[in-house]
Amino acid sequence: MTYVLQTDDVAIHYGGVKALDGVSITLEKGQIRGLIGPNGAGKSTVIDAITGRRPLTRGRVTLGGEDVSALGVVQRRQRGLSRSFQRTSVFGQMPVRKQVELASYKMGTADPGADADDVLRELSLDTLGDAIAADLGYGEQRRLDLAIALVGSPTVLLLDEPMAGLSVKESLDLAQHLKALALRRHVSVLLVEHDMDVVFGISDVVTVFELGRVIAQGLPAEVRADPRVREAYLGSAA
Amino acid sequence: MSSLSVSRLMMLTVLALALGLGVSMLVGSGTVLSLLTQATIYAVFALGVGLLLRQNGMVSFGHALYFGSAGYIVAIALQTHAMAAEWAILVAVLGLTLFGFVIGLVIVRVPGVAFGMLTLAVGQMAYLTASRSRGLTGGADGMSVEWPNTLFGVSSNLLFKPASLMLISWTVLVLLLLGLALGLRGRFGAITEAARDNEERARFIGIQTLVPRAAVYALSAGVTAVAGVLAALNTGFVSPEALHWSLSGVALMMVVVGGTRVLWGPALGAAIYFLAKDVLGDHAQHWMAIFGTALIVVIVFAPEGLSGLLNRLLGLKPSGGAGHAGSASAHH
Amino acid sequence: MLIHIFNGLVYGALLIVMCSGLALIYGLRRVVNFAHGSLYMLGAYLGYSVALQSNFWVALLVAPAIMAALGVALDRWGFRLLQDRDPLSVVLVTFGLLLVIEDMVQTVWGKSNLSVPAPAALQFSVDLLGTPVPAYRIGVIAVGAAVALGLTMWLRLSRAGLFVRAASTDPVTTAMQGVNTDALSAFVVGLGTALAGLAGVVAAPFLSLSPSMSADVIIDSFVVVVVGGLGSLAGAFIAAMVLGLVQALGAVWMPDTSVMLPFLLMVGILLFKPAGLAGSRT
Repeated sequence: MTYVLQTDDVAIHYGGVKALDGVSITLEKGQIRGLIGPNGAGKSTVIDAITGRRPLTRGRVTLGGEDVSALGVVQRRQRGLSRSFQRTSVFGQMPVRKQVELASYKMGTADPGADADDVLRELSLDTLGDAIAADLGYGEQRRLDLAIALVGSPTVLLLDEPMAGLSVKESLDLAQHLKALALRRHVSVLLVEHDMDVVFGISDVVTVFELGRVIAQGLPAEVRADPRVREAYLGSAA
Repeated sequence: MSSLSVSRLMMLTVLALALGLGVSMLVGSGTVLSLLTQATIYAVFALGVGLLLRQNGMVSFGHALYFGSAGYIVAIALQTHAMAAEWAILVAVLGLTLFGFVIGLVIVRVPGVAFGMLTLAVGQMAYLTASRSRGLTGGADGMSVEWPNTLFGVSSNLLFKPASLMLISWTVLVLLLLGLALGLRGRFGAITEAARDNEERARFIGIQTLVPRAAVYALSAGVTAVAGVLAALNTGFVSPEALHWSLSGVALMMVVVGGTRVLWGPALGAAIYFLAKDVLGDHAQHWMAIFGTALIVVIVFAPEGLSGLLNRLLGLKPSGGAGHAGSASAHH
Repeated sequence: MLIHIFNGLVYGALLIVMCSGLALIYGLRRVVNFAHGSLYMLGAYLGYSVALQSNFWVALLVAPAIMAALGVALDRWGFRLLQDRDPLSVVLVTFGLLLVIEDMVQTVWGKSNLSVPAPAALQFSVDLLGTPVPAYRIGVIAVGAAVALGLTMWLRLSRAGLFVRAASTDPVTTAMQGVNTDALSAFVVGLGTALAGLAGVVAAPFLSLSPSMSADVIIDSFVVVVVGGLGSLAGAFIAAMVLGLVQALGAVWMPDTSVMLPFLLMVGILLFKPAGLAGSRT
């Protein structure tokens, strides 16, 4: 089958550090794949590799069957790849709605305004449409970061620790909203997250990282029970 | 200003043009008119510099390059009888805009303060070239701009009256403000603002940032060139001082003091500069200390400039401008 | 030929003194001090006045001391207050300072050129390989060498130097280690402005004093610091000597092009390797 996203033996080495060492993962259409692993395991680096933010030392990234390894960030975005950021990355001096609408427009949406309004509403930002991004609170800015990534119905959405800094309740709330949006807009999602409840709660499949490599993949229940995973990451707390 | 509807903008424009017409007809004093003309020309210059800061978040210490070059291009074209004056003006403005775009493609990639220093260097190179090319530019003495007897069908007797010059400069300023307000409210404005605020994220939403940013630079060069042409009209003379980095610095000062939250901020800064110079009278010889202090005070206490303060007082909404010098790089 | 090389070394030495101050301030505070040339000029004029009252040697001590105090004040009420703002704002403030100092100098000392005689002790000629050179200028080279040597040793061997190097690389961690970064930066900025002032006093006897002094030298000092790698003292030392020689020799052989050379160099470096100048700390 043609996966919407596939990485083949992707590696990123620099200065003696093997940030990623032969990572092969796949994403099916409409799937939500969770990516977990201890700090420094390479989770964010995988997103950097897939989006083209960092060059590959080895390996290949395929989007919907097309090899995009040689393409830049902008071109991959134009092919339906989208990402959010762990360290909130928004357009500080622009109003909320304006930037989300711009992102939608750049994705070629027929009605960027309506699309933006829909996403903002789903993420409870619709009342803040005219607010300047820099004036928003932390949680609101994180949701804005997500809104920019979600808008325009990307084919593949890469979420880099979207719950970072949010409270337990906020995280679970957001997770439900994300899942609903993804289902509604037929978006396939790769979710990098630290919060175990969130990941096991909304993912269809889970991949576990350690030291730049994949050490386990499969259904949430299988992964949870895998002894290698427990040893590397979950410890006795699972 | 983009929060204003198109019809309101047009209305304001008409009012402003009428105001200009009224002033030019009613004010009798040639000195006052001349002062107003100078202030308006500097307002256009500051508008150009401010445009670069507002849309790209970039500070140029070398925009006098375009101001002086415009004058020199026209002067040289006229002196060598290369073309008619009307064409010379067009060539100067459009040529410098194009030139700005080409070098913009290279230099807008240079980040932060490095860009400022680069523009300083390029500007000074132009100054030195003009100062030393006696044959072509008259060297340090400058050269006169030999305007013909009729320009765009208007006789020079009428054209060079103080009232006419003031009206022309004012009209140009108002129309430029209108043009920019209309032009920047659409996608181009949004794209450049996004690239200014967060270039990386802009690329991640599919914006190729280089061309729009170079276009803004080109536009700012063009506007400044227009100011240079107006100055050549006003004084009939151009000298290397019009290329000196201290002139760029003065324009920058007007921009910062006026503020870039709104499009007309830099124009306000120019107005304040000239008003203050006039009011200061004898103390005007200390203008450098006064404006230097004003610059420092504004940056420390009122980074949005005086237009930003005014905006707040009047309860107006900001329109997506950079806000203040360098707020763009605050996220990095 | 020899005299030109010699003069190149003299100017290079002057640039070393001045630019090391600029490099220090950038290294610690990440500020490109646009007012540095004006501080140099102010130092020169202060030296002139002090020398009138007493003598050159006193001026050599007093003027840099006054400039140091000014530097501490600049750091305390300028750089420190604005340290969370972005670099462009601070640069514009230094530009405002430049204007204020320019005006002050013109107001107090007037617009015409002033001259400062070399100290009596050094008013003789030395025979350098057949060419007579003023002893004073040899003194300038000595000052440049002393500053270069002194700063290098200080940075490498002293505790304060260690803190400066640490703070230049990673200010946050250094502060967390308990180093009083505020006191440290006040000291370094004061040192930087003192060096600018020292350069001014030293320059006065062989370059006459005029209100355009600062403009004459500011571009060259930016070139030195950019070419040498902003924040790098060793780079600044080398670039200063190279620029001094290039200017001196170029002025003889290719007068028209040599003026452009510093700018071309700076443009080249800024376009292709603005590393260290990017304004971001990470």
